[in-house]
Amino acid sequence: MWKKVFDWLDERLGLNDLYTTLLDRPEPKGNWWNTLGSASLFLFVLQGATGIFLTVYYTPSPDHAYDSIQYIMEGVAFGWLIRGIHHWGASLMVIVVFIHMLRVFVTASYKYPRELTWLIGIGLLLTTIGMGFTGYLLPWNQRAYWATTVGTQIAGSVPFVGEFILKALRGGPDLSALTLQRFFSAHIWMIPAALVGLIGVHLFLIMKHGESHFPTKED
Amino acid sequence: MDNETKKKINERYERELNRGERFWPDSIYKDLIVSLGIFVVLILLATFIGVAPEPKADPADTSYLPRPEWYFLFLFKFLALYGQIPVIGKIEWLATVLVPGVGVGLLTLLPLLDKSPYRHYSRRIFALTAMGTLILDIVLLTVMASLPSAPNAEELAASTTLQAIGGLWIPAAILTILVAFYIFKRDIFHQSTRRSLPIYLTVIGGLAMVVMTVVVSARSSSYPKPEEAEVATTLVDQITAGQDLYSVQCVECHGDDGSVAIIEGVEGLEGEEITPINSTDVLYTITDSAMYEIIAYGRPNAGMPPSGKAYNAEGLTRSEIDHIITFMRYAWDDRFEAPPMKPLFPALAEGEVPSYDVHIAPIVKRYCISCHRPGKDNNDYLMTTYEEILTTGENKDKNVIARDPDGYLIQVIQGTPIMDPADPTQELIGVMPPKGHLKPDALEAFILWIMNGMPETAEDAAELFMSPTTATPAP
Repeated sequence: MWKKVFDWLDERLGLNDLYTTLLDRPEPKGNWWNTLGSASLFLFVLQGATGIFLTVYYTPSPDHAYDSIQYIMEGVAFGWLIRGIHHWGASLMVIVVFIHMLRVFVTASYKYPRELTWLIGIGLLLTTIGMGFTGYLLPWNQRAYWATTVGTQIAGSVPFVGEFILKALRGGPDLSALTLQRFFSAHIWMIPAALVGLIGVHLFLIMKHGESHFPTKED
Repeated sequence: MDNETKKKINERYERELNRGERFWPDSIYKDLIVSLGIFVVLILLATFIGVAPEPKADPADTSYLPRPEWYFLFLFKFLALYGQIPVIGKIEWLATVLVPGVGVGLLTLLPLLDKSPYRHYSRRIFALTAMGTLILDIVLLTVMASLPSAPNAEELAASTTLQAIGGLWIPAAILTILVAFYIFKRDIFHQSTRRSLPIYLTVIGGLAMVVMTVVVSARSSSYPKPEEAEVATTLVDQITAGQDLYSVQCVECHGDDGSVAIIEGVEGLEGEEITPINSTDVLYTITDSAMYEIIAYGRPNAGMPPSGKAYNAEGLTRSEIDHIITFMRYAWDDRFEAPPMKPLFPALAEGEVPSYDVHIAPIVKRYCISCHRPGKDNNDYLMTTYEEILTTGENKDKNVIARDPDGYLIQVIQGTPIMDPADPTQELIGVMPPKGHLKPDALEAFILWIMNGMPETAEDAAELFMSPTTATPAP
C-alpha cells in the first residue's frame, strides 16, 4: 500500500531524483564547524515562525507598540516564550552567522570555485544585521528609541547624501510613527524577502560546488 | 588563476569526495544535533532569563543614555575612542562611514583580492594574523563598551587613554606593520624560516591588547554601577507604581481620593476651584491620551502645572504618567475592575519589628513624601531617605528619637499637635498627615519601628525580633 502511494507520488514529483540530487550527495569528511551554516538557516526559519506569531498581536504604532508587546508578555498564552525565543534568537543568529563567516575565512573556503558563495554570504551577514537593527526599534521602549535615534544619526553623517539617508530612514527629520511603520515593513517584508532570495542562491551554490573540504598541508 | 591550477583544485576535491561521506545520513545528523541544541538553548534562555523589561519610549527624556544592541557595541566604542583623537577626531564621517565602509568592502571583495590558490593556514599567515587582530579588537571593544562609565573627569581621562591604547593604537600598529611587511617584504610571510616574526608580533600585540582591557576592567570594578530602574510589567505593579506616584505628585491638590473640588493649603493655588478628578464626568469624557497630555503639559489656565519631561528634566517619564492614569482608572472609574492588590507593606507577624526598607519606606512614600521633599513648605524636614528622616529639619533633635514616645513625629501621626515651647497657645507642628490620617496598621508599624530603635534593613530588624512564645533560645 505505502509502496503504491510512494510510486504514484514519485511518478509525479520525481522523489527518487530529489533524493539523489539533494540528499544522497557525496561530501568530504564532515567537520562540526561545518554545521554553522545549517544552524543559521534553522535560526532564520525559527525567527520567521516566531515573528509571524508575534505579528498576530503586535501593533506598529507609537501609541500601541509598547502596550501590545506588554500584552504578548503578560496576557497571551506562551507569548513570553515566543517573544523570548525571537529576542534571544536574534542575538544568537548574529553570533552564528558571524562565526560561520569566520570559519569560511579560516579554512579559506571562499577561494575558487566558491567566490560567489562568499559574496552572497556577505550579503546574508549584512541583511541579518539589518534585521537586528530594524527589529531593535519595534518594542518602542527607551532603549529602542534612543538607540535608533543615534543609529540613524550615524547613517546621516555620510557626506553629501547623509541628510537624505537620515530622512529616508526616519521618514522625516525626527523619529515618529512613520519611522516605526517603515522599520516594521522592512523588518517583516523587505529584508526577509531579500534574505530568502539570497539564501536560495547561497544554497544552490553550495549544492553545485559541494561543501569544501578541511584544508591540509597539501592545499 | 590559470586553468592548470583550477584543474588541480578540482582533482584534489574529487579525491576528498572519494574518501568522504554521504550528505544523508552522515553529515546531516550533525546539523540536526546542532540545530536541536540551539533550539533547547533558546527555550532555556527565554524561560530562565527572559526579556529584560524597559520603560516606554519617551522622546522628551533627553537624559537617557543611548546604548545600541550588543553586536553594535564595538562600533559604538570605536566611535567614542576615535572622537578623542585631536583634529581628525572631529571629522565624524571618517569613522562612521569610511572605516566601516572600507572594512565591509574589503570583506566583500576578499575572494577577488586574495588570488592565492593556497588554503592551508601555513600559507595564509598574513590573512590570518590581520583577521585575528581585527576579531580580537572587536571582542575587546565590546567588553570595554559594556563596562560602567568612570565617575569623575580624571578617572574618565585615564580610562579613555588606556582604552584607546588597547582598543585603537595597538591594533592599528599591528595592522600597519603587517600591511607594511606584506607590501615591502612579502617574503617574510612565505619563507617558513622567517614567518614566525609576524606571528610573534600579532601574539605579543594581542596579549598587550588583552592586558589593557583587563586593566580597564579592573579599574572599572570600583566604579559605581548604573542604577537599574525597576519597570512595572504586571497590572498590579503598574497600579501600585501609579498610586505611589500619585501620592507624591498629585495628592497635595487633588487629595488622596481625587475628590478635592476647592484646593486648600497649597501655596499659590489656595481656594482654586477644580473639577474632582475621581468624578464620572472626568473619567468618562477624558480619554487616556487626553489625560496623558493634561498630566504631561499641564493646564496653565486652571493652575495645573506640567509634570512631564518636556518642561522639566526631573519630571515624570512617559511610563510613569501611564501608570498614574492606570491607577486612576482602576481606583475610580467604575468601568474598570481592579485585580486583587498587594498590601502596602507585608503584614507584621506577632513580635516582628518593622524595618525601614521593608515597611516604613512604602508608608512614607504613600503618605509623607508629597510634602516632605525638597522645594516644599515643610520646615526643611525631608523624608525621602532613611538618613533624611533621622537627621533633617528645623527640629531634627526632637523629630524622631529612638524608643521615645514623646518624639514629635510619633505624636503628630497619632493626632497630637506639637505646641510651640515659646508660646504654648501656638501650634508648632500640626497633626500629620494634615488631611486624613494613617491607616491603623501603618500607624502601628510606624510606632513599633520608632519604639524599637528604627532599624534600617530587614536584617537589623530581624535581630530585634521578639519571639512571643519562647523567651530565650536554647544555648
